[in-house]
Amino acid sequence: MTQSRKVFGRRQILIVEDEMINREILGNLLAQEYETVFAADGDEAIEKMKEYRQTLSLVLLDLIMPKKNGLEVLTYVKNDPQLKQIPVIVMTSDAKSEVESLHLGAADFIPKPYPQPDVIMARVRRSIELSEDRMIINATERDPLTELYNREYFYRYAEQFDIHHPTVQTDAIVLDIYHFHTINERFGTKYGDDVLRLMARKLREFAAPSGGIVCHREADAFMVYAPHGLDYIEMLASVSNALNNYVGSHNRVRLRMGVYDTVDRELPIERRFDRASEACDTVKSGYSGNIGFFDNAMHEKELYAEQLIEDFPRAIETKQFAVYYQPKYNVQAESPALVSAEALVRWNHPTLGCVSPGEFIPLFEENGLIRKLDNYVWNEVAAQVKAWKARYGAAVPVSVNVSRADIFDPMIVDTLKTIIQKNGLSNKDLLLEITESAYTKNAEQIIKTVNALRELGFLIEMDDFGTGYSSLNMISALPIDVLKMDMVFIQQAFAKTQDTKLIEIIIDIAKYLSVPVVAEGVETREQMLALKEMGCDIIQGYYFSKPLPPGEFEALWEGTRNVDN
Amino acid sequence: MLTIEALQAQGVNTEEGLARCLNNEGFYLNLVGKALEDDNFDQLAPAVNSGDLKKGFEIAHSLKGVLGNLALTPLYEAVAEITELLRAETQTDYAPYLEKIEQAHASFLQLRDAE
Repeated sequence: MTQSRKVFGRRQILIVEDEMINREILGNLLAQEYETVFAADGDEAIEKMKEYRQTLSLVLLDLIMPKKNGLEVLTYVKNDPQLKQIPVIVMTSDAKSEVESLHLGAADFIPKPYPQPDVIMARVRRSIELSEDRMIINATERDPLTELYNREYFYRYAEQFDIHHPTVQTDAIVLDIYHFHTINERFGTKYGDDVLRLMARKLREFAAPSGGIVCHREADAFMVYAPHGLDYIEMLASVSNALNNYVGSHNRVRLRMGVYDTVDRELPIERRFDRASEACDTVKSGYSGNIGFFDNAMHEKELYAEQLIEDFPRAIETKQFAVYYQPKYNVQAESPALVSAEALVRWNHPTLGCVSPGEFIPLFEENGLIRKLDNYVWNEVAAQVKAWKARYGAAVPVSVNVSRADIFDPMIVDTLKTIIQKNGLSNKDLLLEITESAYTKNAEQIIKTVNALRELGFLIEMDDFGTGYSSLNMISALPIDVLKMDMVFIQQAFAKTQDTKLIEIIIDIAKYLSVPVVAEGVETREQMLALKEMGCDIIQGYYFSKPLPPGEFEALWEGTRNVDN
Repeated sequence: MLTIEALQAQGVNTEEGLARCLNNEGFYLNLVGKALEDDNFDQLAPAVNSGDLKKGFEIAHSLKGVLGNLALTPLYEAVAEITELLRAETQTDYAPYLEKIEQAHASFLQLRDAE
């Protein structure tokens, strides 16, 4: 539909004119530069347009003709999606018809008697140029599947809308299809594409009358930017109905929608749609409601996140992040012995108080700041272990977190090596914790990095084991030294059901890999004893101790050392 | 015989007409010859005289277009005059207008047929 109409060399023009002499004059003129085709009346004109629709660059159309007149031809062309792409120049001696022709989509007009040849040629050239430019723009602006705006141009047009309607309130809306991939898998991608095209068409039909614009963002995700007042609930229902009629009564297409109602014009357009997407993400299942709204609570959360990100550099600079140490005990010894610790970070924010890691870690993982934080913790812990060694002549190894983002840092091996050397430590003093989910997402890269670290003598602990959906086959190939069971298993096992089967399986896997298994989140003596009985080696949790600041950890450790002695 | 000079003498704006034909004299004179033989000259008076002003308009309008493009000024002006009256379906005595066209047409035919 958007192919260039330039056929090797000369472009083609259809001349529609009932008077033979006029056809001859125009034909003679245009043949200088163009290939010409002729029609003597309206019916023949439409016939020829259809026949040559792939190659025609332009139509010159006389208005007063027998059979179908020029205006009737224009009306026909305007309503034919394949023909309406071809520009039409109207030829008339009647000034009144000009306006009507332009309304009907004529690209330009040429008066009668004809103006000088160079005027005609210039108008013809210009109309062809404009139309070809338009087609190129169309091809770059639009998503070829749905012919909706692509994301970039959608944002640009949304900004244009704002400029032209500075006082009109607007809504940002995103929609997607639940488990769209299952439609593709069950019926094939061609069918899936048909569903997306139908969805695109319905959305546009609904949004366009109010001035709304629609974008196919990616896969099954669409965006709508519309003046406030568009009945988006009705829009969802109407699109949903159309899709369900299409797929038939035995199947169902479930849509969900996120709405950022009455957007803040101060926000960049992309951010407004981030908010609509956030709202959409709050819709968890299509069985209850399927519309999420961006609300105050989400706004507060967003502001809070922004503040944390903004305050981060200063927090690193002024050491607002405090490292706490949670002891780990070997329970297979005669009496539980403190053998190592896990470093956990706390943020003592000057105005917000103590910020929970649950709030800032996922945020920093998302935007990459986690690398700086991890680096900070590695340095702090190394300095602490160095201090303990200086004071006591020994120290327990401390587990530190290595995030997914760190693994992809090509310098990570050198960075850790430097930190160890700078503090005069051995590579066994820091235990590196990597979550299981990191392994499953980009196994090859991680295995490479982890192997390099292990060759240097670092010990690798696989954290949160049991949540990453590793296959048994894959686990046996992983280079790890310790398996750390996810807290969730402990909590579930000792909740109502008392079903410890999963824990037993994990401990079996660890035995199979010949690595010790660590259980965290252990809170009671009963849990500790049960885990010990099942063969768990090391236990961490409030039963033994909460995470402690260095001074208190020292005291605890010293106490156990004294007992040992 | 139709020549540029003869047409000029008849009041034709040959410069304009020739320009539309990319100054190809043979091509232009050929088209003028064809225009003078246009059936519409014969059909105009019967249509108007039968009271079918709509049809009369279509015929006159077609003629006007061709004559204008060839810049056959005296004929064009006569046809343009009746075209506007017919467009508005003016109720009037069309005989003098038809007569004027007839005369102009005849003088061009005479020119063509002269030695």
